Amino acid sequence: MSLEKIGDPRDLTHWMGHMETDYSYTYGIAGEKFFKELKENAKIMGTRCKNCNLIYVPPRLFCERCFEKLDTWETVSKRGSVHTYTIANIDIDGSKLKKPIIWAMIKIDNVHGGFVHKLGEVDSKDVEIGMHVEAVFKSRKEREGSMLDIKYFRPAKQKLEKALR
Amino acid sequence: MLREVAVVGLGCTGCRPTTPGLSYKEIMFEAATRAFEDAGVDPRCDIDNFITCAEDYWEGFSIFDEFVPDQLGAVLRQLFTVTADGLFGLATAYMLIRTGEFDTVAVEAHSKASDILTFADIVAFALDPIFNRPLGGHPFYIAGLEMNRYLHETGASREACAHVVAKNRKNALSNAYAAHGANITVEDVLESEQLFYPLSRLDISPLADGCMVLVLASDKVAGKLTDTPIWVRGVGWNSDTPWLETRDWGRSVDTELAAKMAYKVAGIRNPQKEIDLAEIDDRFSYKELQNLEALQLCRRGEAGKLTEEGATERDGSIPINPSGGLLGVGYTLEASGLQKALEIVLQLRGEAGKRQVPDAETGLAQVWRGIPTASGAVAILSNRSRGAT
Repeated sequence: MSLEKIGDPRDLTHWMGHMETDYSYTYGIAGEKFFKELKENAKIMGTRCKNCNLIYVPPRLFCERCFEKLDTWETVSKRGSVHTYTIANIDIDGSKLKKPIIWAMIKIDNVHGGFVHKLGEVDSKDVEIGMHVEAVFKSRKEREGSMLDIKYFRPAKQKLEKALR
Repeated sequence: MLREVAVVGLGCTGCRPTTPGLSYKEIMFEAATRAFEDAGVDPRCDIDNFITCAEDYWEGFSIFDEFVPDQLGAVLRQLFTVTADGLFGLATAYMLIRTGEFDTVAVEAHSKASDILTFADIVAFALDPIFNRPLGGHPFYIAGLEMNRYLHETGASREACAHVVAKNRKNALSNAYAAHGANITVEDVLESEQLFYPLSRLDISPLADGCMVLVLASDKVAGKLTDTPIWVRGVGWNSDTPWLETRDWGRSVDTELAAKMAYKVAGIRNPQKEIDLAEIDDRFSYKELQNLEALQLCRRGEAGKLTEEGATERDGSIPINPSGGLLGVGYTLEASGLQKALEIVLQLRGEAGKRQVPDAETGLAQVWRGIPTASGAVAILSNRSRGAT
């Protein structure tokens, strides 16, 4: 280990600064439509690139592969599969979380993309790569048109999973 | 014919967990003074352009680039800031000199990470404000996600990642510049607190303060300045999509393409044969394995096994991070890539002391811009000029 003393910089002579940065981030055309549908109809929308034959979720107005303008909107599935996951045991301030958060990259079925979101209604021991999950929405009254309108993703119900096959 | 470019001077403060009593300006002044002394140049008249590499939010300033000329000897001279890792600054210096308009360029990057009281909040501020940031959480969950997918796709073992940590922390014990040298075992890593499964506390490079300055020169003047010019044979850089939702979680595609670019510039056809040692990004333990593969220094899926067999040790067939890497030297923010380049220069000069890799002719430095980015850069350095090989 280093022999350098690890000191709290606040113990040295210093000037305490605080970076205050409030922002209003504009959703833009694609975001506006996506979050309106999410809020009003609990629907997930994507935009299709006809050149690349891909549906982008979250939607964008341009294709990152061929740079084509995208104006074909599609309603996509609320289900997907866990592409990868992790279990976070600490919060942003470094403190231990009482209840660990299971984060996952969820690839929505039949689209290019999906969401990085939380998993719920599942024990972390039972999570695995490839498992099928579905979005759980807040009630209509609670939804505000943000990513928080999706509470989390949970293991897809068995019978629906079968019906999809 | 395009002119050649060499590193002719270097200066480093050494990396430390904290820098009590010195301001960011003073650590920059210290490293710059050493570099100019090493190159035998007077910055007030001999440096044609200065490049600093910094991000406003790391520094706690708006328009931080306005705050750098005086401590480098660059007031009323040519200077600009590249808002990226120092390796991008080195690539920019290389291009400036190759235009023929500049003979000497100084590149600076530093970290005063110990001044940052809310580091994770600043990292979180780099996430997409609409799709990712509202969900909150410590942003290193992104590393947990990437590690899990990388291990899943390649079959590399969790233990191989722990080997990377033990090796790099040990290498750092022979490096006076390193902040976090330690004798730790694979078991220590595996038993350390699990923060973002499968990532544990010791898999994460600890922060460090430090400043690096390199002086680059054209072949026209390099020979007058030093007997041991280290030639920049190639540079490359690349950016994948910023969207977490559409990027590749198992591979570092931007590193693969940055390496291809650098190899092409350097005329390297067989990296495994032609690269003698490499300093590569190990911000998180698994990144060293992923990057080894992205750099074509081994085949995809082989990095874990090679590491466990000892091939990447200092005396192995392909020494990786003999300096101790970011795990052992410390993560110095935008100075990380420049620290890697500096180590390669020392090795190729034969000035690496106890950690010297014998008979090294060509080395590679590679850096990733960290969470949540998908950008990186590569530089290839050699003690043989293009004409000599």
